[in-house]
Formats: sequence, C-alpha cells, structure tokens
Amino acid sequence: MLGAIFRDALKNLSGNLLRSGLTMLGVIIGVASVIAMMAIVEGGQVWLVSSIERLGTNLLFVWKKRLTMEEKRMFAGRNLKLRYDDALAIRERFPDLKVAPIIEIDAQVKAGERNYSGRITGTSPEFSDIRNFHPALGRFFQTTDIHTWNRSVVLGKTIAEVLYGSQSAIGQQLKIGEHRFTVIGVMEPKGEIYGQDRDEMVFIPITTALRFFKGNDKIRSMIIHVPNRNQMEEVTHKLHQFLIQRHDGVDDIRVRNQGDFLGAVDQTIWTFRIVLGGIAIVALLVGGIGIMNIMLVTVTERTREIGLRKAVGAKRKDILQQFLIESTTISVIGGCFGVILGIFAAYGFGNFVAQSMPGGGDWGAVIKPTAIVIAFVFAVAVGIGFGLFPAMKASKLDPAEALRYQ
Amino acid sequence: MLITLSHINKIYTTGAVEIHALDDLNIEIEQGEFVAIIGQSGSGKTTLLDIVGCLSHPTNGDYWLNEAHINKLPDSELTTIRNQQIGFIFQTFHLLPRKSALENVQLPLMYARATRTHQQDRAREVLTMVGLQDRCTHHSNQLSGGQQQRVAIARALANKPALLLADEPTGNLDSQSGNEILSIFEELHRQGQTIVMITHDPLIAQRANRRITLLDGRMIADESTESRTQPVLQEL
Ligand SMILES: Nc1ncnc2c1ncn2[C@@H]1O[C@H](COP(=O)(O)OP(=O)(O)O)[C@@H](O)[C@H]1O
Ligand SMILES: [Mg+2]
Repeated sequence: MLGAIFRDALKNLSGNLLRSGLTMLGVIIGVASVIAMMAIVEGGQVWLVSSIERLGTNLLFVWKKRLTMEEKRMFAGRNLKLRYDDALAIRERFPDLKVAPIIEIDAQVKAGERNYSGRITGTSPEFSDIRNFHPALGRFFQTTDIHTWNRSVVLGKTIAEVLYGSQSAIGQQLKIGEHRFTVIGVMEPKGEIYGQDRDEMVFIPITTALRFFKGNDKIRSMIIHVPNRNQMEEVTHKLHQFLIQRHDGVDDIRVRNQGDFLGAVDQTIWTFRIVLGGIAIVALLVGGIGIMNIMLVTVTERTREIGLRKAVGAKRKDILQQFLIESTTISVIGGCFGVILGIFAAYGFGNFVAQSMPGGGDWGAVIKPTAIVIAFVFAVAVGIGFGLFPAMKASKLDPAEALRYQ
Repeated sequence: MLITLSHINKIYTTGAVEIHALDDLNIEIEQGEFVAIIGQSGSGKTTLLDIVGCLSHPTNGDYWLNEAHINKLPDSELTTIRNQQIGFIFQTFHLLPRKSALENVQLPLMYARATRTHQQDRAREVLTMVGLQDRCTHHSNQLSGGQQQRVAIARALANKPALLLADEPTGNLDSQSGNEILSIFEELHRQGQTIVMITHDPLIAQRANRRITLLDGRMIADESTESRTQPVLQEL
C-alpha cells in the first residue's frame, strides 16, 4: 500500500512539473546552502590549521603581557621585562629546546641609490630552522655572528630585488640606519602569512640589533621549538614557571603553543558554523514554507478526491500518510538536487577564494559526508514538518462536505 | 431489518440560519429491497443518503445498520463500515483522474488492506460484471459518461457491500446510458443486492420496487410496487 501511495505521489508531482519544480527550488536552495556553507567553513578551518602548522611544528610562543598601570605600580622595581638573558637562561636550563629570541626595529636600509624603509628583525640562527625558512643564496647567520655582534644581514627575496635588481646581493655592502652591514644571504620565497609578507623581511643577528639599535637587552618575543610533541603542555608549563621565577615571581609573560592557537581557530570556526549554518537553515525553512503553501493549495484542489477516498474507506491515517508522503517526496527530491548543487557551489566558491584571496592559493572547499547527511535529514524533516499541517487539514475534512465541494 | 431509521433529524446551521433538512424521519428497509427516494431539489434526499451512508451524523435520532447502532459509533468505525458494507455511486462519478479504471476500482480494496494481487483480481472481476473487461487500463478521461458510471458501480461493488447507495446516478447521462445503468441496478437487485437510489425522475423511480417521497425533509409517501400504495401518517 505504501508503494502505491508513493507511486501516486510521484504521479501527482509529475502531473504538475512546473509547480513541483518551483516548490522544490526552495528546498534545493536551502540544502545547497547548508552544504556549501559547511564546506566553506570546513575549508577555512583546514586552511587556517594548515597555515598555523606551516609556521613550523611543535612551537611555543613567548611574549610579554601588557600590564595595567596599577600592576606596573605594584610591581615597580622588580625584574619584569622579557630580556635576551631570559632566552639564554632557557637554553641553559632546557638544552633540548631551540630558542629564537626576536626583536623588531624600524629603520631605513640604503644600498647606493636604492633604499627601503621597513621592519628589521633581530634574531638568532635557530630562527631559520624553527620557522622552516631557509636562505636560497648564501647563508643564514651563525652562532659566531651572534658572539661577535657581526654586522651581517640576510634579505628577504623581495627586498633583495628592490635593492639589487637582478644583480647578486651576496657580499654587497648596505647601510641600516647609520651602520654598515654586509649581505650574507637571500631567503627563499615564502609568501604571505597572516598579512606578513615573509619575502619582505630583513634579518640581522639579535646581539647586533640590541647593541647598535636598542642600547638595552629587551626583546619582543621568543619562538621555541620543542622536540617532542607529547611534551608540549608540560614544557609550556615548566617554561612559564621558570620565567615567572626569573621575573621575581611576577607573571608578566604569556607562553602559548600551537594547540592554544588551534583552539582559538576552533572557537572562531564554531562561531562561523553557527552563523552560516543558521542562515542556511533559515533558507531551508523558507523552502519548507513553500512546501506548506503548495500542499495547502493541493489539499484544497483535491478536496473532492479526499472526500471520495474517505467515502470508500480511507482512514484519517491513510489521508495523512498520503499527503505527508507527497510533501516528503518533494523535499527528498529537492534535497537530492540540493546536494548536487551544493557540491558544485562549494567547489566553485573554493576556486574563487583560492584565486582572489591573497595567500588563499591552497584554500579549498571541504565537503564532509556528515554535512550531506545533516542537510538531507533537515530537508526530509522540513518536508514532514511543513507537510504535517496541510496533511492534518486534509485528514480532518468532513467526507460529506468534501464530496460536494465545488 | 437491514436499515432502521428512527426519529431522524438533521439541522444545518449556517451562521444565524437553521435549516431543518430532515424532519423526524422513520424508515425501515429490508435486505434485498430496491428503494427509490424521490422529491424536489432541496427536499433532503442527499442529506438522507449521507446519513444512511455513514458519511454524516444525524443531529438526533437513531440509526441501525445491520444491527450496528451507527449514531453511537466513532468516526473511525464508520470508515470501516463504509468500506465494508456500503458502496457509493454519485451523479458526478467521482473517479480519480490520472488513474486507470482498474486502479479506481482497486481503491476500496486497497483501503481494506487487500493484497495487490487480490485487489487486481477482484477489480477485474467487478469490471467484467459491468461489461468493462476490455477497458481496465483506460483512464477516466478516455471513457464515456456511461462507462465512467459503470466503473463507479464496479468500485462500489468491489468489497461486496450489503448496501448500494446511488445519488442521481443517471443525472449526468443521456437516456441510453442511463438505461444501461438502471439495467445493471435491476440485475443486481435480482441477485439480491439492496439498493437505495435517489432520483427526481418519476419514470426512473418506477423501476425500483419501493418509492419514498420527501418534501421539505419529511416523508410524504412510501409506496411499494407489490402492494400498490401504502399511505403513511402525515400531519401536513
Ligand atoms: N452542508 C450544508 N450546509 C447547510 N445547508 C445544507 C447543507 N447541505 C444541504 N443543505 C440544505 O439542506 C437542504 C436539503 O439539501 P439536500 O439534502 O442536498 O437536498 P436534495 O438532495 O434533495 O436536493 C437544502 O435546503 C440545502 O440547502
Ligand atoms: Mg441532492
């Protein structure tokens, strides 16, 4: 009997193709937007996670907390700043870790007629390994450069081109501020990450930077590589305690690992999921209202048929079932088309982002089977939910009146 | 007694207006009778047939069909009674469009939860009875009015009902097709089928073996062909 009812439903729907198609359109758009939006969010997550991991793996980040005026007053006289000493002390205390202290200076770089104004990064040789960022020509500086405050400089690819064009930069002399430096390396092209173009970086040894440009030993941050991924949490904690102890018991630094950043990404992604998912579900609900509207029209049009069916023995349940199957058929077929359209839309959008967003080259939509299942289940639920009211209305019709309805 | 109607009233309330469509009707119909209900338009014939056919409840009064106290039963049981014991034939046929003759006749069998093979066998059987064995796969729009009404009769007979109810079955037909339909009724009557048929045509009513005349919801005459006239008490 269910088979017969289902065949009837298909027959009725195909009997009025234009109307069925337009009704399905709402569901198609709803399901497609659920799938496309989920694919885009998942794609965004994959992209964000991979770009965090591309920073290098097993990393810890250390930087100074901003203190309030009150805290500053309270802790006056204690050893607060994050200093180069801290980096050296960490190396001594935790010999397994690779530590790259970092400071940044704004200065002008002059090479003959050409010049460049921007940010100079002072760091240690470990930086290159930790960030997986290596020179393409020449070399990165080494421990001896650190010990001798060597005035050697490594240029990002773009900077080397700006200053020397197609000429070889290696061995060239240039001036940073008032000080003379020798170019010892040019980095490999690396592209942009988080709005920072790594091809525009300029590196000098941290000791040189502190001595010639700062006159003190305050550093901005540290990047630390932990050899064993399983020890991340433990090392994060130990390192934090160690630094607090060095800072006369004041907790004025932050130590974060990639897991913390990934956690933050996760949180952001969830926000997107909820917002975009909400929009998609509204689209689906609007589709459902379309189904309800058409089903109400159908019930009115077929009042006499309903009366006849009841006269020959259709129970309420039979009529309810008949119209529910019809509305669900609309939503299931619409759902199928919606899945297909959603997949196309997701990949289309993925390509668009990959081409138009800076650094979005490896961005792509990620379609999870769960997204398809969720969208489909929602579509069916919408078909049943919004078909219920018209079907109830049909099942409650008085047979005598329905038969004589004009 | 197949049908017992006792002090049946039906009052329609539309807004502030009350229409007394049936006024204290008392009718008994025996198994195997062929009854014609006649009366002017608006006299309450259809209203009476709806009640006898368990499609609607009387406002008050008692109705027994085959020992079942109909006006005491819930709607769900009336549905079963309509399916099992009553066959309807309407002036406008009421066939489902986009369905074949066979599928239309299968409908009451489907709601009786018969198996698919039994549905088809029985549907073919009754279509043969009304002479449409070679029209099984035709859709209703491919059939003439007379043929459509014969499909409707086949549908009404599908579940072997105790009672056949027809509301102006020839009203939409030319006289020749009408005659064919009436011949089928007469044949069914000969085989013992109980039939109640509404008509406003006295000539057609003559072919029944009993005529009940309504006027403004009251019975004003009840005559049998056998015992010519049987006047009823009326306080007109
Ligand atoms: N559903 C209804 N609501 C209100 N009045 C009705 C309804 N059905 C029938 N009537 C009224 O009841 C009376 C009897 O109608 P009906 O039984 O259809 O008469 P007939 O079939 O003899 O022409 C008429 O006056 C009609 O207008
Ligand atoms: Mg009538």
